[in-house]
Amino acid sequence: MIKFNQRELIVPYIILFIVMFVSVYPLLYMVSVSFMTAGEASNQYLIPKELRFENYVTVWTSNNFQQYTLNSIIISAIIVIGVLFTSVPAAYAFAKIDFPFRDIIFYSLLLSLMIPEIIALLPHLLIIRGNIFPLPFGPSWMNSLQGLTVPFFGNIFIIFLLRQYIKKIPNELWDAARMDGSSHLYFLRKVVIPMSMPIIVTVSLFAFILAWNSFAWPLLILTKEDWFPVTVSIYSFIREAGTNYNLLMAASLISISPVLLLYFFTQKLFLESISNFGLKQ
Amino acid sequence: MIKFINKYSDQINGYLFVLPAFLIIGLFGIFPVFFGMYMSVHKWKIFKGRFLGFENYQKIVGDIGSFWIFILGLLVMIASYWVWSEFKNKFSKKIYCLFISFLLLILSLFLINISWADMMAKGDKDFLNSLIYIFYYSFFAITTEVGLGLLIAFALYQKLKGKQFFQMVLLFPYITPAVMGGAVFFIIFGKAENSILNEFIGYFGYDPQMWLFDKRKLSEVLFGIKMEGFFAGPSLALTTSIFYGVWSYTGYYAIILLAGLSIIPSDLYEAAKAEGASRWQTFTKITIPLLMPIIFFLLLTGFINSFQAFNHILVMKTSSAGETMDVVTIEIFDHFWDRVKFGYAAAEGVVLFIILNVLAISQYVIFRKRLNYD
Repeated sequence: MIKFNQRELIVPYIILFIVMFVSVYPLLYMVSVSFMTAGEASNQYLIPKELRFENYVTVWTSNNFQQYTLNSIIISAIIVIGVLFTSVPAAYAFAKIDFPFRDIIFYSLLLSLMIPEIIALLPHLLIIRGNIFPLPFGPSWMNSLQGLTVPFFGNIFIIFLLRQYIKKIPNELWDAARMDGSSHLYFLRKVVIPMSMPIIVTVSLFAFILAWNSFAWPLLILTKEDWFPVTVSIYSFIREAGTNYNLLMAASLISISPVLLLYFFTQKLFLESISNFGLKQ
Repeated sequence: MIKFINKYSDQINGYLFVLPAFLIIGLFGIFPVFFGMYMSVHKWKIFKGRFLGFENYQKIVGDIGSFWIFILGLLVMIASYWVWSEFKNKFSKKIYCLFISFLLLILSLFLINISWADMMAKGDKDFLNSLIYIFYYSFFAITTEVGLGLLIAFALYQKLKGKQFFQMVLLFPYITPAVMGGAVFFIIFGKAENSILNEFIGYFGYDPQMWLFDKRKLSEVLFGIKMEGFFAGPSLALTTSIFYGVWSYTGYYAIILLAGLSIIPSDLYEAAKAEGASRWQTFTKITIPLLMPIIFFLLLTGFINSFQAFNHILVMKTSSAGETMDVVTIEIFDHFWDRVKFGYAAAEGVVLFIILNVLAISQYVIFRKRLNYD
């Protein structure tokens, strides 16, 4: 690789500053517009004349926005818990327990990555409406929390990431634990989970961001506003004629802040897992 | 009983641990494809109707025979690459091998061309056009993303201050939810003549553009040539959504490519230095060849993934852009959400699935030889 000497280093700095500017500019613009008056926003001012914090108050108190934010938080939290609940034991079994057809099962599940979401949406909808087989809680899961969350409880991508990590835990630990009469479940709880905390945090973040961003599915199954997540509410806000952009941006900013905040605290793990996963897919 | 449990404890535990994930992924991940196929051969509005056979497919691709010729054309194209990569070192003269693979390439283009024209004449034009639009989207988005990502990765590879910070900022767009990101782009790329972007390009002497509201093709916008067909390029509105894709994914690819750069063994560089290689030689003879498999891999997987772009395009879609932003996912969604044609939408989904699988085959053919240094 070409290493630049001290004087030439200016080139990469310039590149990175431009890239950084382009990356954050839309977000900064979002901040800036969110403080403008409606007139300033529609005339596309660069910065507001004065900061109007009222916009945030207006958004926060109007149009059930609090309800939508709360919905998003509840939905995402339940999905994260559900995903961890199914994925951690499965990843442990795929990595460490020896049982017949293990690899066949794993690879056939991996095939689900090949299937575009758009194709799955339609059969999902019929399942959720209870058209294909009877559902456990209620005749139809349309407009319900279980309909929004349960389909996302299984995620082979997350199982894959966890499995990679758990595989590195030495087998001797399990041999020793077995000698002492420990069961798989006990070993999983007391040894494997504490040891793989970094990856569990990372996949929780992945799952949270995915859940927070989910859009097509809620749009499809929600006909009433009770369980609208923020993404859907912002989409319907954009579609309304004569939208006030300043309020739209304030709403957008409020609704991306949890994701940005989470990312800020876990960025190092996040970066590592992206660079690891990208090459090994 | 207890003896039995103890003896088979591994098996029992294994299956029990896997069961919840297996049920949910099986039900929501794998089952839908088969059910979609089942739906596609029925008349299905909201509830199941009569059996149609391949009528839906007939309507979509016009003539099922020419669809298979189209797929055959894609496969021949892959074969042309395969011949080149497999036999280029086995023939005594490279030129024969080149000739054969070139012939195959011409053949594949011919097959694709005639079958496509036939499908266009008889089939569902909106759907077929949407395939072209998603091709534009994926092709332009992924090449720009990986190209720029490479540049950024090179920059990040130098000894810089604040590297961690740059990396963090780079991924902001990637984690921004598509709906909210799309909302900002919707404003920045709006039609206002005095918008920031239009004033910015005004500095360089360009006229203000309508961006997301403009359905003129790129060839017309850039060169003033009015054209029809494939080479007219994406509309300006679709190009804007490509900008969003680039904005959102470039950082992600840059991080992966940076990881790819750092696994190139450093003794190779030292050896090159000891031999007195110039920096440019080192770059073209070591870095690029060793990075090539990763670049190809990212281009191909990224291309396939971009076929699923949906959220931000739906958000940024405007009515004045017309159907030029109806990429294939939007088209399918539209059919079953707005027009409630479930069977038809399912058939469209299956067609997309077949095409994606052919692309996946090409991925397998190209990467069956693993990266040699991981």
